[in-house]
Amino acid sequence: MPEPVIASVGASPLGRTDLPGRDLFSVALAEAFDGLPDPADIVEAVYVGNQSESYEHQIMHGTLLAEWAGLRHVPAERVEGCAAAGALALRHAVKDVRNGDHEAVLACGVEKMSSAGTSGATDALSAAFDRAIEQRSGVTAPSQYALLARRYLHETDATEADLAEIAVKNHANAARNPRAQFPKEIDVTTVLESDPVASPLKLYDCAPVGDGAAAVLVTTPELAADLDRPQVRIAGSGASANNIAVAERDMTTIAGARIAAETAYEEAGIGAEDVDIAEVHDAFTVCEALLAEAAGFAPAGTGYQSYRAPAERADGWTNVQLSPSGGLKARGHPIGATGLLQALEAYEQLTGAAGDRAVEGAETALLLNEGGVADAVTVGHVVTTAEAP
Amino acid sequence: MTDGGLDATDPRTLPGFFDALADGDLLGGVCADCGQVLLPPRPACYACGSHDVDVEPQSREGRVFSYTEIHAAPPAFAADAPYTVAVVELADGGRLLGRVTADAADVAIGDPVELTVREPTAAEREVALEYETGWPVHVFEPR
Ligand SMILES: [Zn+2]
Repeated sequence: MPEPVIASVGASPLGRTDLPGRDLFSVALAEAFDGLPDPADIVEAVYVGNQSESYEHQIMHGTLLAEWAGLRHVPAERVEGCAAAGALALRHAVKDVRNGDHEAVLACGVEKMSSAGTSGATDALSAAFDRAIEQRSGVTAPSQYALLARRYLHETDATEADLAEIAVKNHANAARNPRAQFPKEIDVTTVLESDPVASPLKLYDCAPVGDGAAAVLVTTPELAADLDRPQVRIAGSGASANNIAVAERDMTTIAGARIAAETAYEEAGIGAEDVDIAEVHDAFTVCEALLAEAAGFAPAGTGYQSYRAPAERADGWTNVQLSPSGGLKARGHPIGATGLLQALEAYEQLTGAAGDRAVEGAETALLLNEGGVADAVTVGHVVTTAEAP
Repeated sequence: MTDGGLDATDPRTLPGFFDALADGDLLGGVCADCGQVLLPPRPACYACGSHDVDVEPQSREGRVFSYTEIHAAPPAFAADAPYTVAVVELADGGRLLGRVTADAADVAIGDPVELTVREPTAAEREVALEYETGWPVHVFEPR
């Protein structure tokens, strides 16, 4: 069974841009294929993570982006799982290479969220929630996560200031990331005094609306070597769905994320303690706390300490560094592209291309990408440059 | 599996559930194999996978499990903002999300509430799908 590797990555600018989705993809693709043969000479299949047709009134992204890449007559499809679409696309590529179906698969993602303003994005994202009960009650993405946050603050020692510190830490990381939508530092007061969105979450607890595209070339190790590219092994991949309605789940034990992470660890032959860096789905500050626990980095009720230096965290925490890119919060969260931006960050960190934000000595990364509220669907990947155990 | 013959009068479908709710009856699915309560009822139990799901009346009384005050609302509900939404744990064990007819400042986890049912407003009908227009809206009132 060939072990898939990431052979190249690329991304568009993130944030408010004047480019439509397909053009954002062209920018990301150009970076990924800089110095490589044309996609038509390599790529055998395409998967596109994309959340919603409501932004550009466009589906058929598999066909469209394959064509814009100069590919015809290859299998190509859009993958949908709200914000987990990008990692689902990556997972399809991983399986195709593992199965020996293809030697090179393009996993990409795109979202043009700014096309209908903030209210348009709010409306498009609300489609991820149960229609019959949740949507008709007027929920939003922030309000769904606010229900988790309220419960988390009730059950643990965490405070709103702790959640604010997660945003502060991720902005500090983004300040060293030239790709970030918000490459600037903020302080706790700014978070705590920002406008209420859905209590207890405030504006600066929330990832921004933004445009973006990302492309990740997944190949066999042999092809990556032929292409003379640094390669990072995708050693584990897991995914899990959970209830559509947040009310029917355990709201502070993110079971789907735990399954996705543990499946990926098991495939990779590692444990949580072996992970050096993690890009987790911090769409809202509370997510980073919950996912740190689900991933096995932190004992129950202490995930909110992710912003602290390892020596300052509770007993039982690993030394992992979370969201070195700045996370969804500050790097940016163009929904369908986010899972691939996480893979891009891991590739740059593990191949010595992360510049000022490099985490010294990092060899192994966990990626956790969620869709819907929390673990409605979660995808986990372990990527590493360490020797296989 | 024994779900053949489901039609819109069956409470394990949404039209059947909302028809009963319009009459004031909150129906839940109850798994005959593991006891899991399913709100709304559906043909299969997510907890154990069984398709042996009974339909039983559920208490409309419960307690707030979590809540939030929505300031930035979807466009269809912008005129209502800010409003309170809660996850409520009902007395018979199921959990259901809904609006609360109280300011969030007056709500706390553990507060007792009761489910009531009202007709959809004109604004709610405006954004309803054709098959949803007759469905009632449930809300939780403090008690
Ligand atoms: Zn059951």
